[in-house]
Amino acid sequence: MSHMFSLESVSKSFTADTGTIDVIKDITLNVEEGQFLCIVGPSGCGKTTLLKIMCGLEQPTSGKVLIKGVSPDPKVQKFGVIFQEESLLPWRSIRKNVEFGQELTDRKISNELTEKYISMVGLEGFENYYPHQISGGMKKRVAIARALAVEPDIMMMDEPFADLDAQTRWILQKELLSIWQKLHKTVIFITHNVEEAVFLGQKVAILTTRPATLKTLIEINLPYPRDRLSPPAISFREKIIEVLRCEVPTI
Amino acid sequence: MRNLRRYLKDAGVGIATLAVFLLLWELLARAVNSPFIPGPYEVALAFVRLATVGDFDGYTLLEHSEVSIYRVLLGFIAGTVTAVPLGLVMGLKPTVKTAANTIIEPMRFIPPIAWIPLSIVLLLGLSRYVFLLWIGTFFPILLNTIAGVRHTSPTLVNVAKTFGASNSEITTKIVLPSALPEIMTGLRVGLGIGWMCIVAAEMLGGDPVGLGRLILKYANFLQIDAVIVGMVLIGVIGMAMNYIILILEKKMFKYRVEVLT
Repeated sequence: MSHMFSLESVSKSFTADTGTIDVIKDITLNVEEGQFLCIVGPSGCGKTTLLKIMCGLEQPTSGKVLIKGVSPDPKVQKFGVIFQEESLLPWRSIRKNVEFGQELTDRKISNELTEKYISMVGLEGFENYYPHQISGGMKKRVAIARALAVEPDIMMMDEPFADLDAQTRWILQKELLSIWQKLHKTVIFITHNVEEAVFLGQKVAILTTRPATLKTLIEINLPYPRDRLSPPAISFREKIIEVLRCEVPTI
Repeated sequence: MRNLRRYLKDAGVGIATLAVFLLLWELLARAVNSPFIPGPYEVALAFVRLATVGDFDGYTLLEHSEVSIYRVLLGFIAGTVTAVPLGLVMGLKPTVKTAANTIIEPMRFIPPIAWIPLSIVLLLGLSRYVFLLWIGTFFPILLNTIAGVRHTSPTLVNVAKTFGASNSEITTKIVLPSALPEIMTGLRVGLGIGWMCIVAAEMLGGDPVGLGRLILKYANFLQIDAVIVGMVLIGVIGMAMNYIILILEKKMFKYRVEVLT
């Protein structure tokens, strides 16, 4: 049986003037359909490189990435990738931004899908606004709606909420979970925020410092909706921080 | 209301400055009292004469202006259709940029006036003018297009790629719209510089019409009042063209203007 998503001893190194730099070393990981996986690692450990490899923007130096058994190819498969940075097209309205993904993947636009996902992320009434007119949290909602509107097999998110204020981040985390439960999407969520990982993920993969290897995979067997401050949630957090502390002693 | 008041205040300051400038000029001209230094009153008289009666070949200011604007616009169009595509390719492909720059970079510093002998040898009629004005408009448009392409956000390109965009889709849907504000700035600057080359272009002679030619004709007779009429008209028309594109830019890139202010 093939997994929804798997990394098979994936490694990546870059050649620089000073020699070869290993960024990712021998990561093997499986994600089943409908699962929510969080990947946590110290900053600068190569998480973003890993995401680029996972969605086919970059090729691994060795090893394989498989999505439903084949190498990721955005020209064939549909991905919903959310980046940490500002990713909306400033010259397009919110509606046109949400349609952007469909334009490229399906070569046609379905009003029904556009409207469905705009309302799912709670942006009805803002369709004709432009990105500069809305808040940071709303921009993230647009990016999520744009990714969902192509009806992707898998969602990959790279620290999507890192530059939001705590309150907005909490709200968006909750909404992301409710969307995930509604649509049964497979989600891979990269973060450096331990609290976020424990609140969201069914599994948390912890990476080491560079070169990033898979240190531990922890299963968070807590029912949703989770209470951030419940004793089991806190003990999961402590467990993850304990593992990370071995990597970065100053945490 | 507040805007209107500010506008009226700005207009008042502008008119006052202009009045002081003209007054000082008139006083200076009277003090010097030379036939080669006309005051604004004599220039105004020359303006009325040239506008109504025309010059000694019978061409009025309107005809001179129309012909010059027509030539500059042709040069500007030629500059746009060559510089924008080349700039896009040069911005996207570093190898093409290196190759093209070997020729283009030194050419950029050759003043349009230096091209006159070659254009006389190589070209005929209207194409001579268009060629010289093309030289003037080409470089600012090219450089701004390249800069615009280079400033495209890599994240936006990645977003398009993760949706499976082809290279041509990335160019048309991401690179071009994101470079467009800078391309428009290039067009505005290019048109301005092209317009500034009008006198050089009309030195080519032959045709007795055009604002540059008007200046040259009267310069030969040392009739400086008519020369100044030509100069002022070139300045005012250039300013108007710049203003029209500025307004257009503001309308087209509302999202950008609102972010910047």
